[in-house]
Amino acid sequence: MKEDRFSWKTIVLPLLVLVLTIALWQAIIVVSGLEPYILPGPWDVGKTMWLRLDAFLLYTLRTGMVAVSGFLISVVLGVSVSLLFSQSSIVRQSGYPFAIFFQTVPIVAVAPLVIAIFGYGVLSVIVVTTMISLFPIITATTTGLITVDQGLLDLFRVNKATRWQILWKLQFPGAIRYLLTGMKTSAGLAVVGAIVGEYFAGLSSGHQGLGYFILESKNQINTTSLFAGTIFCTLLGVVVFATISLLGRLLLSRWTGEG
Amino acid sequence: MKRMLLLGLLLVAIASVGGCQTKDDTYHTGPIDNDPSARTDVKLVLNWFPEAEHGGFYAAQLNGYFAEEGLNVEIIPGGPGSPVIQQVARGSIEFGVATADQIPLGRAQGANVVATMAAIDQSPRCFLVHKESGIESLEGLKNVTLAMNSGRAFSEYLKKHVPLENVRIVPYDGSIAAFLRDKNFAQQGYEFSEPFLAKQQGANVKVLPIRAIGYNPYASLLFTSDKLKNDQPELVAKMTRACRKGWQAYLDDPQETNKHLQSLNPELTPGVLEFGVKAIVPLTTVKEGNFGQMQLDRWKTLVEQLVEVGLIEKDAVKPEDCFFEAS
Repeated sequence: MKEDRFSWKTIVLPLLVLVLTIALWQAIIVVSGLEPYILPGPWDVGKTMWLRLDAFLLYTLRTGMVAVSGFLISVVLGVSVSLLFSQSSIVRQSGYPFAIFFQTVPIVAVAPLVIAIFGYGVLSVIVVTTMISLFPIITATTTGLITVDQGLLDLFRVNKATRWQILWKLQFPGAIRYLLTGMKTSAGLAVVGAIVGEYFAGLSSGHQGLGYFILESKNQINTTSLFAGTIFCTLLGVVVFATISLLGRLLLSRWTGEG
Repeated sequence: MKRMLLLGLLLVAIASVGGCQTKDDTYHTGPIDNDPSARTDVKLVLNWFPEAEHGGFYAAQLNGYFAEEGLNVEIIPGGPGSPVIQQVARGSIEFGVATADQIPLGRAQGANVVATMAAIDQSPRCFLVHKESGIESLEGLKNVTLAMNSGRAFSEYLKKHVPLENVRIVPYDGSIAAFLRDKNFAQQGYEFSEPFLAKQQGANVKVLPIRAIGYNPYASLLFTSDKLKNDQPELVAKMTRACRKGWQAYLDDPQETNKHLQSLNPELTPGVLEFGVKAIVPLTTVKEGNFGQMQLDRWKTLVEQLVEVGLIEKDAVKPEDCFFEAS
C-alpha cells in the first residue's frame, strides 16, 4: 500500500475533524451540563491559550527541544541495536527480552536512579524521553532488517555479495519503511516522555516546560489551563509527527526511489 | 449512508454523556438504629492513600460511630491526581478530605465546596533539611537543592516570603531517595511521615514547619458541597459528628485503626503509623474542648495569602463561605 500523497486533503480533512470535534465538545457541555471545573468550554480554553500565548510557546519550545533530542538519540541507538540484532539470531534472541525493558519500565521507579546519575535538569529528562521512545524503533527496524525477499537474497549470494553489501544494499533500504513507521510511533512517545520526564527531573525554577505547567495547573484545580496545556502538547506532537513524515519522504526517495 | 452513520455515532456519544448525568439525589434518611438497610448510604473520598492523616475517619467506621448516626459510609482511598474537590463539588461523592487551601482554590473555579470540620488544627506541612547543612530556619534556607511541588500554595508562599538564596528548586517525586544521598538537599514533607522515614534511614533530619513563617492552613478537613450543606443539613451534621468522634477516638487509642490502615495500605509500616499519630496529636486541639472547630480569622488569613501569591483573584472567594460549623 502506498502512503497517501500530500494534497489539499491532508490539510482540509483534519481541519474538518477539528471543527467537528469543537462542535461535539461544545455540544457535550450543553447537553450534559458538566461544570467548567470538569470540562471547560472550547471558548474559555481558546481564550486562555491566546492570552498566555507567549508563555505557552516558550514552554512548548522547551519541551519540544527535549522531545526531539531524546527522539534523535532513540533513533541512533535503536538503529544501532537493530543492526546488531539483524546480524545474528543468537544476539537477537538473547537481546530482545531486554529491549522490552524499555517498553515496560515505570519511570517513577527509575527516576531516582536517572537523577542520581544525570542530575536534575534537561539531561535527565532527555534520558527519560529516550527510554520511553526507544522500543518502537528497535522492534520496527529489526523486523525490517530481517524481513528480506528470499529471491533477492539468493541473487546477492549467487553474485558473492559480502555481508556488508547485503546489509547496506539489500537489508537497510528494505528496512527504511519499517523504521519510518517505528519513528512515527516513537515521535509521539517522545513528547509523552519529555512531559513525564519533566514531572520527575525537570528544573522548575525558570526553566519549566509543558510538563511543569500541566502539573501546576492540576495542583491549582485550574482545569481551563490544564486543557490549554494539553492542547499545546498535542500541537507539539503534530509538529514532530509532520516533520518526520516529511523527512521520511525525502529518505524514501533517496534510498528506494519512491516517495 | 456514511453521513447518517456519523450522525448516529455523534448522537450516541452525546446521549451517553448526558445519560450519566441523571442521578438520584434523594437520601432516604433512616432512623438511628442498627438496621443497616435503613441507613443512609454516603461516600467519603480521601485525598491520598490511607495513612495516619485519615486515621480518624477509619476509626469512626471501625467503632461504629457512622452507624450510630444512621450512616452507612463507604471510604474511597485517593491517590496522586484523584480529583477530590471536583467529585464532591459536583455531587458524585458526598464528602471528601482535603487540606484547607484546596477549598478556596476550588471555589475560585466554581467548585463550591465547604469545610465542616478540621481534624488537624496546625499545618503539618514542613521542609526537611540535614542537620549537617547548618540550616536552622526556613529564612536560612540557602545553598541547597530543594525538591517541592512548585505551583502549590505552600511552595508559592515559601518562594514569596523567603529569599531562597542560591536555592535550586527541582520537582518533588514523592520519595526521600535524593534527600538521603545529598547533605545539601532539602525537600517538602509532612511532619508525621517523611522525618520518620528519613531518620529510619540514618539521616540527621531537621524539620522546618512552614507555619513558622505564617502559612498555616488546617489539614485533614472534612468537606462537602454547598448544595448538600443547604439541602441536607441534617446529614452533614451527622457525618461531621461521627468523624469528630472518630478522630477523638483515634488520637486517644490508634492501635486497632492502625492495624486496619496497614491492611488497606501494606506499604505503611507499623512504625510510621505509630510515629504519625504521636506527631499529629500536638497539631490538634484534641486536649481542648473545641476539637475540630475552625476560626474565621484563620480562613481570612488563608484567602489573603492565596490572593497574595496570585493563586486566586482578589474578592473571588469569601472566607466565610469556605467553612461552617455543622453542629
